Amino acid sequence: MIARLAPHAPKGIAVTTGEADLWCTYAAVRAAAWLDRTGDLPGRVATIGYLSSRRNTDGGYAWSKGMASDAWATFYCTQAMAELGAEIPELDATRGWLRETWSGDAYAMLPGQAPDVWATHFSVRSVVELCGDTPPDLDRLVSWLRALQAPDGGLGWSPEHAGAADSDVRACFYGVMSWRALRTVDPELALPWDGPALVRWLRDQQQAEGGFRFGPSADIPCLWATYRATAALDALGAVPAEKQSCLDWVLDRRTADGAFVRWAGYDVADVWASFCAIGSVRSLGADTGPHAVPVLRRLHELSCPAGGFTYREPDQAGDALSTAATALTTAADDPRQEQWRTWLAGCRLPNEGGVMYMPARGSEVRCTLWALAAGAADADPAAPAGIADWLADLQNPDGGFGYWEGRGSDLVSTAAAVEALRLLGIPVSDVLDTTRLAEFVLGCRDEQGHRHVPGAPPTLRAGLQALRIREELGQATAGELAALLERHRVSSGGFANVGSRMPDLLSTYEAVVTADRQGIFVDFARLTVFLDRLVRPEGIGWTPLAPTGGGALADCLGSLLRERIEGRRADLPALTLS
Amino acid sequence: MTLSSVPTLDSLQRRTRTVLAGLFGPEIDDLPADTPLPETLGDRYDSLGAMECVTAMEKEFGIEVDFVEHDVRYTFAQLDRIAEFVHSQLEDRAVFGGSR
Repeated sequence: MIARLAPHAPKGIAVTTGEADLWCTYAAVRAAAWLDRTGDLPGRVATIGYLSSRRNTDGGYAWSKGMASDAWATFYCTQAMAELGAEIPELDATRGWLRETWSGDAYAMLPGQAPDVWATHFSVRSVVELCGDTPPDLDRLVSWLRALQAPDGGLGWSPEHAGAADSDVRACFYGVMSWRALRTVDPELALPWDGPALVRWLRDQQQAEGGFRFGPSADIPCLWATYRATAALDALGAVPAEKQSCLDWVLDRRTADGAFVRWAGYDVADVWASFCAIGSVRSLGADTGPHAVPVLRRLHELSCPAGGFTYREPDQAGDALSTAATALTTAADDPRQEQWRTWLAGCRLPNEGGVMYMPARGSEVRCTLWALAAGAADADPAAPAGIADWLADLQNPDGGFGYWEGRGSDLVSTAAAVEALRLLGIPVSDVLDTTRLAEFVLGCRDEQGHRHVPGAPPTLRAGLQALRIREELGQATAGELAALLERHRVSSGGFANVGSRMPDLLSTYEAVVTADRQGIFVDFARLTVFLDRLVRPEGIGWTPLAPTGGGALADCLGSLLRERIEGRRADLPALTLS
Repeated sequence: MTLSSVPTLDSLQRRTRTVLAGLFGPEIDDLPADTPLPETLGDRYDSLGAMECVTAMEKEFGIEVDFVEHDVRYTFAQLDRIAEFVHSQLEDRAVFGGSR
């Protein structure tokens, strides 16, 4: 592992898809819009095509094709299309989907999930600014926002986080920007918080160097926190206590070619740093003009041939999932293994102890699981404790986990957190609140089965994830897994996530993992027939209907599953995706 | 249903074209029957689009597709193959009996 308090870009070698990333694409477009230069971005038509291709038939948008719609992707796709001057397709359907995410008090990332301030910000702005609509109950929403204020004056991710005094500048930004957006609906809407206390807490996060940290538990200041803090202060009509030192700190993050890096000492200018820097300079009331040319030049270098943008040059923009997947399916004695593991280990950067999807982003629980399964922590004796501490902090007040800090809980992430501890050899009860963990799992269950989030339809994968968690907690129920597998077994081969007709690779993989754990028989001969149906010229598809291969992740799961079926592997890591 | 009452391949092809046009629009009307649907429809004929097509054909003809036993990716890639598949399913049903 690298020294986490001296951040630099990960060493080693990563696997890159060469494809655009949604957040990077939004960040690039937004940064160019702030500079009034969207017309100078490369590949406008292809980028609009990339963004619109994330749209699902339910009217929401997904992070990648085939995934479920969420508020995060819906906001970033539609905002970026609007910034590029594109017409948003079938807005009525998007408006309808957004209504599905209303919890009664605020907005959730997914229909049926508990609300959080990330999702509330995204959906309030989408509802108000994109759809010209109003939230279903403004009074209840404002009450929910009011309850985000913690005793220390800052805002938490949810009222429950606020109760635990878990304030974060990102939560402050999202809360304040939600309030600001609601003022376009009700111009008289008063600030729902103790404003001076909120400003004071935000100002207290500025460090002696001039930049801001996320909150008291963060190690060092970064551009991400600095943008969220300065923008929140600006919306509140305030500025940092040390405004000039903040501006100087931001400008010191420029590299020799004039683009920006997120931390002092980091050595690759990425799209997020440029976004945060330009946003900060604007919020501080300084001139962004001098930075337009170098930032635009850097954005050009980060554009992808098929549209959209990634965080650095596309041929070098590795990601943790693809790299871990490749490492998992390559021979253990392959000389590249050490290079991949070194790169994955380097994706643990300051402030959050887990592995990031892409370096310089925020740590994510699924990526941490995949990286650990690929051996990313094997060479660092300090890594298990660091990751365990991060997981302990990441556990939401409802007992579950979300994809990243502050995001509402779901079973995929909760199962990933439990499995990460299993891979590290650390008992769950040493790290997590197991009572609340069990309560979250129970809250996702009714007589029909388990759900990804409490209000979603029941699925096989949610059931498998819940049963694995309960097994780790010593709460497995005899016969329950066998009955679940039987309900979703496709008679000609494989397992279906919903019903028992359409088998898919991910569900089948998780079914075998979980059956192995409990010693339940699975007919491998029929699984072989199913796997054969997924073979494409360029790789392995996710379902028998998929026209193409599913990329490195599908190749990984398909290969591991075939090794297990053919007896070349005794068991499988419990990898989760969606 | 008896073997003689199974619709002709031509009529099944016409009905298949109508079903697909209902899903994907009037461009299906003039599409040569042996044109690959994924090439013509692009992203609209991804796995979800193909799934919609399978479901619509099942409903139209009262058949059931097995996603593993039947080579759906090959069969549902062209209009003529879909019609031939339906024809063989209806013939099987006429000979062996049973219906959904």
